[in-house]
Amino acid sequence: MTNRIKELRARENLTQLDLAKLVDVRRETIVFLEKGKYNPSLKLAYDISKIFKSKIEEVFIFDNE
Amino acid sequence: MKKNRKLLLIIVFLTMGVVLGYIIINNGTKMFQGLNLLIFALIIIGGVIAFITAFKRDKEEKEGLTTDDELSTLIKYKSGYYAYMASMYMWLFIFLLKDKFPDTETMLGGGILVSALLAFISKFIVKQKLND
Repeated sequence: MTNRIKELRARENLTQLDLAKLVDVRRETIVFLEKGKYNPSLKLAYDISKIFKSKIEEVFIFDNE
Repeated sequence: MKKNRKLLLIIVFLTMGVVLGYIIINNGTKMFQGLNLLIFALIIIGGVIAFITAFKRDKEEKEGLTTDDELSTLIKYKSGYYAYMASMYMWLFIFLLKDKFPDTETMLGGGILVSALLAFISKFIVKQKLND
């Protein structure tokens, strides 16, 4: 699974710390998410998508491989 | 810093201080030689790391960040499992080699210390694996 968090975060002018505060996670979690090293729970994916006013599938891109 | 964490830290450091004081009063500095010195050094390093971690978390809390989230919980569960499995094998070997230890206290104390080290190492490994 890949994601567009970094791109959307830059568009919204948010730092990793800001996003972490908004979705109530540690900054480290945002770092791992952006690197694609961690797949979030459905709740976290939903919360992040809500911040960017987008659908989950617009932020997180699922690939079958 | 949450009140209960602050209280826990104070209790841990007071206990460490009292135990250290008791040892020094009864044995002088004789205790701090050879293998004992290594054991005390490891305990103190562990204490310092715990203290630094607590203050780092305190700083994060002041910044308005949560100290526990789904990733940190996952890391805790995974590293806990690895540390538990490794500790089981370690205790098995300790009991197999029990004749090599000078006394039971050294054997149990060493085992507990190595268990703590295994917990620390497994957390480090889990974090590294996540980074790969």
